[in-house]
Amino acid sequence: MSSDPNKSILIFLLASIGLIAFPHSKNIPIPLFAFFYLLLSWRFIGIWKQNWLPNKLTLFFLTVCGLVLIYSQHHGLLGRDAGTRLFVTALGLKLLEIKSERELYLITYLAFIVAASQFLYQQSLLMAAYILFVCCVLLATLVCINSSKPPPFAALKTAGIILLQAIPMAVVLFILFPRIEAPKWMFFNEQHQAKAGLSDSMEPGSISDLGMSDELVFRVKFTGALPQPSQRYWRGPVLSHTDGKKWTQVTDLRFKQFLDKPVFTGSPYQYTLLMEPQNKNWVFALEMPADYTLPISQNANYQLLTSESPDKRTEYKITSYLNYNTGFITRTEYKDATQLPSPPSAKIKQLVKQLHGFDSTPDDFIKQLLTHFRQEDFHYTLTPPLMEENPIETFLFETRYGFCSHYAAAFVYLMRVANIPARVVTGYQGGEWNKVGNFLEIRQADAHAWAEVWLENKGWVRFDPTAAIAPERIERNINIDQLMPGGIISFAPTGAAAQTAFNWLKQTRQLWSNIDYNWQRWVINYDNKNQSSFLSSLGITDIKAMIYWMIGSIGLITALLSWLLLYQKQPAIDPVLRIYNRFCKKLAKYGLSKGQGEGAKDFAERIKIILPEQSSSIDQITHLFIKLRYGKNAGFDDFKRFKQSVEKFKISSVSSETAIK
Amino acid sequence: MNTLSLKERFRLSRFISGEQATDEPITLTHRRIFILPTYRGINFAILTALLLLIAFVYNNNLVYLLAFLLASIFFITILHSYKALAGLVLQKGQTKAVFAGEAAGFTIYINNPVNVERFNLQIKLEQPESLTIKPQCKTCVTLYSLTKKRGWHTAGTITLSSTYPLGLFRVWSPVRFTLKALVYPKPSLQELPFPESPSAQAKQGFSQKGVDDFYGLKEYLPGDSIKQIHWKAFAKGLGLFSKQYGGDGSAEIWLDYDKTPGHNIEERLSQLCRWVIDAERIGIAYGFSLSGLKLLPDTGIRHSRKCLEALALF
Repeated sequence: MSSDPNKSILIFLLASIGLIAFPHSKNIPIPLFAFFYLLLSWRFIGIWKQNWLPNKLTLFFLTVCGLVLIYSQHHGLLGRDAGTRLFVTALGLKLLEIKSERELYLITYLAFIVAASQFLYQQSLLMAAYILFVCCVLLATLVCINSSKPPPFAALKTAGIILLQAIPMAVVLFILFPRIEAPKWMFFNEQHQAKAGLSDSMEPGSISDLGMSDELVFRVKFTGALPQPSQRYWRGPVLSHTDGKKWTQVTDLRFKQFLDKPVFTGSPYQYTLLMEPQNKNWVFALEMPADYTLPISQNANYQLLTSESPDKRTEYKITSYLNYNTGFITRTEYKDATQLPSPPSAKIKQLVKQLHGFDSTPDDFIKQLLTHFRQEDFHYTLTPPLMEENPIETFLFETRYGFCSHYAAAFVYLMRVANIPARVVTGYQGGEWNKVGNFLEIRQADAHAWAEVWLENKGWVRFDPTAAIAPERIERNINIDQLMPGGIISFAPTGAAAQTAFNWLKQTRQLWSNIDYNWQRWVINYDNKNQSSFLSSLGITDIKAMIYWMIGSIGLITALLSWLLLYQKQPAIDPVLRIYNRFCKKLAKYGLSKGQGEGAKDFAERIKIILPEQSSSIDQITHLFIKLRYGKNAGFDDFKRFKQSVEKFKISSVSSETAIK
Repeated sequence: MNTLSLKERFRLSRFISGEQATDEPITLTHRRIFILPTYRGINFAILTALLLLIAFVYNNNLVYLLAFLLASIFFITILHSYKALAGLVLQKGQTKAVFAGEAAGFTIYINNPVNVERFNLQIKLEQPESLTIKPQCKTCVTLYSLTKKRGWHTAGTITLSSTYPLGLFRVWSPVRFTLKALVYPKPSLQELPFPESPSAQAKQGFSQKGVDDFYGLKEYLPGDSIKQIHWKAFAKGLGLFSKQYGGDGSAEIWLDYDKTPGHNIEERLSQLCRWVIDAERIGIAYGFSLSGLKLLPDTGIRHSRKCLEALALF
């Protein structure tokens, strides 16, 4: 290899590096990203303008520049972000001093590391496909280096073939390679980009943003029956404390030990919950969760929490019952659930009195209140007016426009005024059914808030005032595709005509969701737990069996590949030659073999002397052979005649005797 | 191909210098092809390990997958590397005699009988040469080896190697053919007059001059010196004629080892070699005598070759 790598190799290499760093635009600071692409384009120009490339001094200056940029953007040298920045900058700088083949290899290897670093930020199927493609281009660069002047597409093809052949073995390794969790000290705990989600407090109005977000929160796959849409409440944080505007969780949950064990009735619902990465360790279970396994635990508010880091996709198996009785209320609970920031105003008291809050049973009061919401001029909207002062009163008596949080907050407040223990529960409601994959998808748009009231002999009972005002919200989902900011909310249409219009769009989306679900479930989320359960279903239970299987399958794949690669087909012989060889074989039986390097004509002359009776047919065969093999205008007729005459050719017993002599 | 005994199979020299030299064409098979990772291949393995470490620390399945993909690529490249050489048929070709100090050229035919292109093969005797062979094609390369001593110069091990496709492995095959080139002694640099020969002695004085005296043309015969061709006549289209000189036939010398000056055998042979070349160039008939071998005076390539051969193998 010459010291000056040729152009096509450089073009290949630089193109693949440009591709590989591109998705990092979101992950590394803009100045650093711009610096990298400046270096890359400089090197690109340098392919044609050799003397424009920087000399040693400039390179040193650039290196200092790069280091200053890294230092100014990030403090520290370890961790995902710092590491990615360092590798990207190193790659950019290394590009400018390509002198030999060694550097080309170093750059290719660095590029592979940068490619891998993409996966630390994003693990989608599309990203994986993209990186696979870029890896193919990188391999093609290596092919280019090792085969002098190949056509670029041939190099790309060779690289593609190698990559395809490598995939089965990679998959086997992926499945069987033992997954061990890294020890805790090896984790670089970093705050990931802020993700939208439910917050641990509620100020009516704060959820309105979520109503628009299409982002997936979790998926649920039921093993058996599916609860009705109106029963699908996914329990999140419970907000008991209020200052009149803001609702928050109570911090002291020590009363848990005094709680009764809930009594479950009815049929259980078993499901697998696949949580997307979250900021909080909340697990949204169907009300009311009964069975769950580690690392989940339940707090005093019946909310499920995980003790593991929530920033990874995790799968949980949970069993829930729709009918439950939580039993008696503890003293702390009672205190928390009847807490009011200040004595209620006369207007409020008047309303409660009017709805028989003080002089009837809690059940009646609830009924009255819900009827009140339904019959009075209350509206459901995702863009309610701002209610800065006294939000509950403003909402109840003035604006009357609001969404779930407003209704839940007002409902609970009024309950508490009537001295009925009540609290706000936040979480998700509903979910879209994916027909292709048979699972529920719950998105941020499904965020919801409802109320929970403690009733004698019933325990905590869910009431959803939003259902009273906008039952569609509960029975169907908000149609995000049609949702216009500030407009009237449209719920997913039930009309057949409208349905078909969106059908194909929806179906593709569901198909894609399904693929994505399986990708998340089987690839991204394949950890030691999943691995052991999957492998034990195949009958592989211990590490020894795993190793045997690994060796066995790699051996099998190798054998198959070797056969595929190394079995070399004999090149097809010209049919004319094949027939002529048959003719020669016939003669060879009688000791008349054609000599090495003896022409067909000479051979014919020689055997004609020995076999004078056959001379005409020998002549014909030889003539046709020469015409077919070397002549210009031989037709198919000639071929047929040639074939026939060879088949007919036979050495008579008399002449054979002479031949043997 | 004959089978190898167990002892032969594990001999280290097979990996470096190849098996016994042979006359037959050699087909490259698993017996003759060896593979080892290159430094780049080792670095590639280190890269894979690094990716595994990243995957482990971040518990990232896609990085795992990428690492496994690279590992399988590494593994599969072994097969591809083997395929780069497997099936090639090497055959020995002609060699030409040279004078000591010159490079002897050995021609090797490489046949690629299958439908696979062979990229960037390196073939090396002393200097590496790279070549690409198209599917179902045959090429020939001439490899040069510097000679030092007169006599038979055997071609050493010819190594065919390749790093195709990814440069992670070097696959090589050492082959040895019974290829030898005859090396004539190095012609002496000293310009000594031809020795006086018994027959020339009588005509001394004009024999040397007479060589240059042109006296006629004769029809060209193969073996006549190119220098004696009458090019003018040839250019006129009259055919090939050799010029005949006055000295021809009458002036003849004897090159005798015993009468050649020199401090040792090599110097004497070297001087004789020089004389043979000079005599041939001028076109004098020369007789040759070397320890029992006696060649009557003559000229022409065949004669000079006989003399030089005798000198080479003395």
